[in-house]
Amino acid sequence: MKTTTLVLAALLLGAAMSAQAHVASNSFLSMRVDRAQVDGTLELAVRDAEIAVGLDSNHDGKVTWGEVRAAQSVLVLYLREHLHLTGSAGQCALQFGAVQINERVDGNYLWQPFTADCHTALRRLTIDYRLLDEEDPSHRGLLTLSAQQVTQTAVLGGARGAQSFDLRHPALWSAFIEYLQAGIWHIWSGIDHLLFLLSLLLPAVLRRRQHRWQAVPHAAPAFLNILKVVTAFTLAHSITLSLAAFDIIRLPTRLTESAIAASIIVGALNNVFPLVTEARWRIAFAFGLLHGFGFAAVLSEMGLPQGARLVSLVAFNLGVEAGQLAVVLAVMPLAYLLRATRLYQRALLPWGSTAIAALAVVWLIQRAAG
Amino acid sequence: MCAALLAISAVTAVAARPYVPADDNIVLAHLSAGVSHTSLQVRQQAGARVDVALPLAQFYISQARATGDLRFLGYAEALLRHWTSQPSPNPEALVLYATILQSRHSFDAALAELDEALGARPDDAQAWLTRATVLRVLGRYAPAADACAQFARRADAGVSLICEQSIKSLAGHLASAYATLAGLSTQGMLDAEWTWRDSELGEMAVRLGRDADAERWFREALSHSPGDSYVKAAYADVLLRQHRSAEVLTLLNGQESIEPLLLRLAIAQQQLGDPGLARSRELLQAAFSAEAERGESVHRREQARFLLEVENRTQEALAAALANWAVQREPDDALILVKAARAAGTPQRAEPALAFARAQGLRDVRLAAAADTHS
Repeated sequence: MKTTTLVLAALLLGAAMSAQAHVASNSFLSMRVDRAQVDGTLELAVRDAEIAVGLDSNHDGKVTWGEVRAAQSVLVLYLREHLHLTGSAGQCALQFGAVQINERVDGNYLWQPFTADCHTALRRLTIDYRLLDEEDPSHRGLLTLSAQQVTQTAVLGGARGAQSFDLRHPALWSAFIEYLQAGIWHIWSGIDHLLFLLSLLLPAVLRRRQHRWQAVPHAAPAFLNILKVVTAFTLAHSITLSLAAFDIIRLPTRLTESAIAASIIVGALNNVFPLVTEARWRIAFAFGLLHGFGFAAVLSEMGLPQGARLVSLVAFNLGVEAGQLAVVLAVMPLAYLLRATRLYQRALLPWGSTAIAALAVVWLIQRAAG
Repeated sequence: MCAALLAISAVTAVAARPYVPADDNIVLAHLSAGVSHTSLQVRQQAGARVDVALPLAQFYISQARATGDLRFLGYAEALLRHWTSQPSPNPEALVLYATILQSRHSFDAALAELDEALGARPDDAQAWLTRATVLRVLGRYAPAADACAQFARRADAGVSLICEQSIKSLAGHLASAYATLAGLSTQGMLDAEWTWRDSELGEMAVRLGRDADAERWFREALSHSPGDSYVKAAYADVLLRQHRSAEVLTLLNGQESIEPLLLRLAIAQQQLGDPGLARSRELLQAAFSAEAERGESVHRREQARFLLEVENRTQEALAAALANWAVQREPDDALILVKAARAAGTPQRAEPALAFARAQGLRDVRLAAAADTHS
């Protein structure tokens, strides 16, 4: 009893010995997933490998490169027993390459490359890491896992046991929501796109007969007009937004912004001095292409997140559509109800359009002047 | 997440490219005692024989202390696991496990293991001593003193006195504790006990502002235990305070693997403008990053000091010092918090440590000096 006490009294010396120590035992496990295939390396400290499999064959207290090479097959056996990867089609088949050496600040590490064939494309990967579990429960594997341009990190080993990793973009859903909101916000805050659309939609509840506006007799033709314009606009700006977002076409911002202002003037003046009366969807399409570049400018400011580019683009576009649809749903039933009134035909349509055109002229001057 | 990624880049940044050594005779690692697969076979017996497990675990814990290498604590834990997970665990194994937990700064878990051990065996002197130590680190001096009193009933008078007076010195009786321990007869003392006494005296001398005496005590402690890294760290601090950085380099040469010593080395190198500083910084950053990646913070006190004294990143130093103070409350923990708070321009953030010192009667000239400068 007494000896135990004395030995430990020394151990506990000064209490503050708390702060002794040097880094605990870590391995570095790095993996890259490509469909059903995993390419990886495991870096295990030479002394940890000694504890696990016994490298120092001549027991001289030194581990040489020759001893490591001689022990390579034993090391592989040990790794097969203590490291398991599982995909949806069961255990992945591991193949280990030739070991090399990597120098880290705290000493030499065995650098063991490996590949794993998981049979079917991986959407989820389970890693069961038991290295040194018996010998040093404080040992951990520091994992860096890359899949689809996304990198995850985790600490393996210890009480945690096997861990599962979702390889689909972990931030995909949040990116979707973020870009959806950005799309809605942009269409509402950047009033120019809405005014352009509105100027094309105001006459949708009317028809032009002998140089005069008439109310459409029932809802069907009005609905069809609206549908054509909105669809054409949506289609057109989706095309150019995508082209710009993936850097296939790029236009200078000043040019597109000025052209957007000009498109509003054209759309609005067409209501005051009607030239195109039946096929306004063509204007919507033609100028919609320009508006797409305008959306793209916003998107390029936000940037598309790595690994979620397409999802973010689709979400942003959906946000834009949702935003404009909300406005259409709010305004058009009212326009439909008022369509037969003089107020609508003689005041709202011509003077409203003139006001829109005037505003757009101001924008055009501002934007062209830069 | 972001911090983790940064930590990874810090770790990978210092890793060179893998290579195939040109010669079979190239030595990749030197193994210290107990680090070999052969000793694993001995270790495997530990599951069946407690008389193998306990002394071997104790050996590994002492290796951890001597070398500053945390892996030894893991080896010890592996040996004890079987004996602490029984329906009625082995009390001695519990106490050793508590020591491991304490070294990892899992103080509450350590106390829980000790309670269980003492529940099974109230006369376990070692458990009382370990309990006193853990409570002392937590700044809970009254229960720590109780644990020392329990220890005294079951152990040798000399060691009991060290336990008792070292707590008293922190709780309002610094001068008398110093006098009492200095007058303690060392006749028949083992080296370990002697070292303990001397290092406690050295620390008390530091708090009294008697650096010359402190230096004498630390040197004497090292004459009994030349490899004791705890004493070396305390001694190096005395030297650094006196700007005797060259002596620190000599004292700590070749001991970069022990983080607290590496920290003192880096501070000395900085004072001297020594080119070795770059390497020391790299090592320390890698070590702190690896700890952060594991979600641990055993060396937060060192990290705070590193950020403050080497990196001059005052806000981060203050954050680390505050986090450290939430876990442990030794004079050095209070000191780094006061210094970091002052450097960050927010001295009031150190109020918890100063209030603690006032309430406990903790006397430390360094603390008083650091706190005074800003008032």
